[in-house]
Amino acid sequence: MRRMSGRLLWAAVSVTAAYALAGIALNRGEPVNSVWLVVAAVCTYLLGFRFYARFIGARVMGLNNERATPAERLRNGHDFEPTNKWILFGHHFAAIAGPGPLVGPVLAAQFGYLPGTLWIIIGAVLGGCVQDFVILFASMRRDGKSLGQMAREEIGRLGGLTALVTVLLIMIILLAVIALVVVNALKGSPWGTFTIACTMPIAIFMGLYLRYWRPGKVLEVSLIGFALVVLAILGGQWVSESPSLARAFTLSGTALALAVIIYGFFASALPVWLLLAPRDYLSTFVKLGVVFMLAGGILLVRPPLQLPALTRFADGTGPIFAGTIFPFCFITIACGAISGFHSLISSGTTPKMIAREWHAWPVGYGAMALESFVAIMAMIAACALQPGVYFAVNSPAGIIGETPEAATATVTGWGFPVTPADMEGLARDVGEQTLFHRTGGAPSLALGMAHIFARPVGRRLLGFWYHFAIMFEALFILTIIDAGTRVGRFMLQDLLGHVWKPLGRTSWMPGVILTSAAVVLAWGYFLYQGVLDPLGGINSLWPLFGIANQLLAAVALCVATTILVKMHGARYMGITCLPLAWLVTVTFSAGYQKIFSALPRVGFLAQAAELEAALKAGGAVNVAETQALIFNARLDAAVCGLFLILVLAILADSIRVWYGVLSGKREARLLEAPFVLTRLKAEEI
Amino acid sequence: MRTLKDGWRLLLALLRELADENAYRRHLAAHGRRHSPEEWRRFWDERLPARFVRPRCC
Repeated sequence: MRRMSGRLLWAAVSVTAAYALAGIALNRGEPVNSVWLVVAAVCTYLLGFRFYARFIGARVMGLNNERATPAERLRNGHDFEPTNKWILFGHHFAAIAGPGPLVGPVLAAQFGYLPGTLWIIIGAVLGGCVQDFVILFASMRRDGKSLGQMAREEIGRLGGLTALVTVLLIMIILLAVIALVVVNALKGSPWGTFTIACTMPIAIFMGLYLRYWRPGKVLEVSLIGFALVVLAILGGQWVSESPSLARAFTLSGTALALAVIIYGFFASALPVWLLLAPRDYLSTFVKLGVVFMLAGGILLVRPPLQLPALTRFADGTGPIFAGTIFPFCFITIACGAISGFHSLISSGTTPKMIAREWHAWPVGYGAMALESFVAIMAMIAACALQPGVYFAVNSPAGIIGETPEAATATVTGWGFPVTPADMEGLARDVGEQTLFHRTGGAPSLALGMAHIFARPVGRRLLGFWYHFAIMFEALFILTIIDAGTRVGRFMLQDLLGHVWKPLGRTSWMPGVILTSAAVVLAWGYFLYQGVLDPLGGINSLWPLFGIANQLLAAVALCVATTILVKMHGARYMGITCLPLAWLVTVTFSAGYQKIFSALPRVGFLAQAAELEAALKAGGAVNVAETQALIFNARLDAAVCGLFLILVLAILADSIRVWYGVLSGKREARLLEAPFVLTRLKAEEI
Repeated sequence: MRTLKDGWRLLLALLRELADENAYRRHLAAHGRRHSPEEWRRFWDERLPARFVRPRCC
């Protein structure tokens, strides 16, 4: 009877998922309520989790709760510690959740809500969740080894080195692009700039409190820190209303970029306990709190989607970034569907904390499904905005025109009516001087979130919620920037240590300063070019970041496929090989177009050629700036080409190994730790 | 009521894990020491550098 009701329940979930997906896919003309997206996503995740992931866990991986995990065998009270599965689920989710699933869907909404939503749901269930689950399993069976170590051992030395260099390059592009998102969100915004500036002394106060005044009271100081940040948001309104203070905190993009670069350098070189660690605690709690608040808000408000299912920009002429739906939708949304960066977390801390092998099922697959749901919420927040407002906020001046009249006329001409008075009223409501040309996705996401949060409590709080959302986005983006710069420094020291030993020593101050400066200058350069870019920077940098992140996912899936081929031959290799084939197709076609497309807004080389022609014809207003733009376009093309070559190398190496194993010419030697019977008691976890 | 209490306990445990407070307790238990400001600083100085050499997710 129980079995029967279970089957009926899953049949009902399947029918609901199919009905909701068909509803959002086939509906045209009438506004769709956001609840349909929530239902379609949740039901599909549940089905993927219950059936597909369980099949992979049981048949393919052979998960066995009798087998002692590294957390038990190597238990040391530090890294290796058996942990309750739901605590580990939260820990893993907090580690994988970054700005990517929030910003990517907002940018991809220029195609309409449908392409991005389908990619987020299907990509996660068949690709992203599978990648995270398999890499977590592989690392757990290999004593918690990292992706780079597994690539070196399972594929070859080339694979290991490629993984390290790829990660370092991706870090640089990632830091530049997310820094650009913050700069664009704070540009000309005294309220936002004041609030974010305040988070730095607040973090230092928290660091001193924890080290000297109340050692060990992390939750207590995080609560105090949060209260101070809320006060800073309220203070920001007062600053924005004071003419003299507002002037002091109204910064240009260039000034903000410089401030972020200087901050990144000091945060990387200062003691970790003073700034990095307290910010990290605070941003983790704020991030989790806001994500769950947004979920509650969407369910409470149930906003209708204002953007259509498909917009005219599916043809590649989009104002936010240029390029057709295929392949650009699939690289713009990376983290919500599949993210290579997750494989670094799945082969980092998490495998060392798993108490039972089957816990990898909810932690690996389930946490990514939740991350994908965050991307769905971001999509809802963006699409719930009036389309004219969405495009006026996200489009650069170079595309829609400098003045409010020109910008609104262009956007209205596309079929998305908006007036200067609409934009002025909205800017006044949220306490900003203007909302035009705020590219990067963060301001429009904040607007969408503010509308959802303010609906139950009244529109007069719109300004507070807008700046609360900006604070939330900037706080954890800056945490990634400071921690990422430090990590980049360690990676660079690791690489340079092979060239000259002292450079590899993390305690040698000249080496620390030199490598910190090198990493900061590397991402700072890309940030600066993004700020100067007349097309807003996002048009060139976000696709570069998306390609890089998806290529890292391709590296992870190469490792995963190699392991599955060694375990079962060709029988189950499709589980990881099909997402790999899709990613390779998407990223290589996007990469090729970004380098060689004849359209200057798409292809870097065509953009350089167009600028060069303008320079020769004497049509460039600023010669030095145009020359810099030409150099930047060529540099972007070279970086993109380098990514493709690196991944081609690891792909060729993997195919060589698969062919060897499948043809019987190579031994299918698995490098798993030997089986040890668990002695862990249920009450210990 | 019991489910609510269990949920609250789980949430607190998760927050303590994210705040490194659980890790500190394990550190004290593993070394057989008692909490003191010096001990916390020793724990923090060991843990934080290791925590910030891992890449952050985007």
